[in-house]
Amino acid sequence: MMKQFAKLGLILAIFAAVACVGLSFVYAATKDPIEANKTRQVNESLKDLFADADEFVPTDVLSADPSIIFQTAYQARKNGVLLGLAVKAAGSSYGGQSVLLVGTGLDRRIVGVRVLENKDTPGLGANAKNASYFVDKANRITFPGQFAGKVVTDAFEVKKDVIPITASTITSKALTRIVKAAGDAAAAWIENAAMLAPETAPETAPEGGK
Amino acid sequence: MDLMKIFLVAALINNVVLMRYIALCSYIGMTGDVGQSVGMGFAVTFVTVLATAATWPIYHFILLPLNLTFLKILVFILVIASLTQLVEFYLKKNIPGLYAAMGIYLPLITTNCAILAVTFENIDYGYTFIQSIVYAISVSMGYLLAMILLAGVRIRIKTSPIPKFLQGTPILFAATSLIAVAFMGFSGLIK
Amino acid sequence: MKRLWKIFKQGLVFENPLLMLMIGLCSALAVTTSVSNAVGMGLAMSFVLLFSEIIISAFRKVIPNSLRMPIFIIIIAAFTTIIDLVMQAYFPELSKSMGVFIPLIVVNCIIMGRVEAFAYKQKVMDAIADSLGMGLGYTWVMVGIAAIREVLGNGTFAGIQVMPDTYQPILFFTMSPGGFLVFALFISFNIWLKGKMQKAAKAKERA
Repeated sequence: MMKQFAKLGLILAIFAAVACVGLSFVYAATKDPIEANKTRQVNESLKDLFADADEFVPTDVLSADPSIIFQTAYQARKNGVLLGLAVKAAGSSYGGQSVLLVGTGLDRRIVGVRVLENKDTPGLGANAKNASYFVDKANRITFPGQFAGKVVTDAFEVKKDVIPITASTITSKALTRIVKAAGDAAAAWIENAAMLAPETAPETAPEGGK
Repeated sequence: MDLMKIFLVAALINNVVLMRYIALCSYIGMTGDVGQSVGMGFAVTFVTVLATAATWPIYHFILLPLNLTFLKILVFILVIASLTQLVEFYLKKNIPGLYAAMGIYLPLITTNCAILAVTFENIDYGYTFIQSIVYAISVSMGYLLAMILLAGVRIRIKTSPIPKFLQGTPILFAATSLIAVAFMGFSGLIK
Repeated sequence: MKRLWKIFKQGLVFENPLLMLMIGLCSALAVTTSVSNAVGMGLAMSFVLLFSEIIISAFRKVIPNSLRMPIFIIIIAAFTTIIDLVMQAYFPELSKSMGVFIPLIVVNCIIMGRVEAFAYKQKVMDAIADSLGMGLGYTWVMVGIAAIREVLGNGTFAGIQVMPDTYQPILFFTMSPGGFLVFALFISFNIWLKGKMQKAAKAKERA
């Protein structure tokens, strides 16, 4: 009886062991591409927001709102001179966490917003990430695209100065909250930086963003 | 309150069956009568909460620190399968009446997508242990609700004249479609 | 060869897993909001089904009956993990848009069901034919549903705009009630198709 059990246990253990070993090989093989994918998306979005920048210095920015986490922030610099700050902010949206990259310029205007991760309903909230979904069809403006040029002190109220995605008010409000929090924090950080090191800030504000 | 929000979203607004299409196999198969649905609903609730209580610590205290996160799928499904077996043994020995009533549903719980989905999402959403338990209960309650609703509707369907092309399973999905429309009304619950 | 073809054909209409056997529904409807998701899911599921059936059929003499469930689970979970990791590495956008449904392949009733009912008892070549038929049967239904939902609900097919600019997308189809309804109609269509095919087969026999 015990021998039976032992034999069964051994067979099970062998299968499990083979499976685990096989998986660890696949994991090792795919680990690097997976990491590369993550960083590539962020880097491409950073270049997209601050095309003039030649380096992005990672920095820490604290979030005043505990429900919105600033995973990291990047100082966009050209020749050492600060162009603006991009904040990678994560907050909960309808279908889970959504991660946005919010770029703020020295003029306290949003340079642009890129949706890095969004798990909302396809066809509805997920259209925040869809480059061909326009909240303003006439001017072909996407949901994140509408934030470009907005001053961080604006109301950021959905349906008032922010156009929502059709039938996705929860997503629209959640993402707007994240943008506002990131914009506010970035503007505060930039002012701080300007005070501490005026020689690294340019004399004139750069042109508006995308 | 944060936990209340998790409950409302998981049970109603984002109902696991009606809004997210998860656990449809058992939804169609187990709603033959209301008693069956209730039994299945509670069994799923029980296993989901137990599974959460087991998988959350395993992930955070074993898989993560040891860099074995790629074993998540394997480990979680084995935990659920084992838990289901244990529940089956326990019921067989101690509550034979319930065991007989549940019959074949018990082993089927292992393949219930909702349970595994909940264990994965607890990790993906970054929930704390308490939040995970609340989420597990909420999703299961939503599942129970959907099951009872369809079981009730099916009683009506039995005595209604159904057009030929919808007879059988098509009418069940058409009915589900209407229930889902009703559930969409919940989306205004949370601001 | 003819026997293999017959096994393969079963999964397409007569024993279509989604429309007739009513298994594997879990992930099916959720990913049919867009054609690319449906194709991705169809292929991913087929991959796991194919390799699980092959391994389990190849080792069926070695797997003890009392241990078969846990071993099936280990094998299926392993292949699911493999396809999950591969997709995250080489198809990150698709992987993200399908979210939790890729790992859910492990509890896809189709795989569990076919492995238990077929692969464990049949030879490897038969198992391959069965898995390909079932996989294709699953995929064609998914793509069909997705095509309707994406074209009517979003005006696009696999991301390409096919409806004229003036077409106002009918959001109903991208949302869950629409999915259920389209699925209901598909089942209805398949029942009709099966009836027609059976009549044709009977007529052929009589002739």
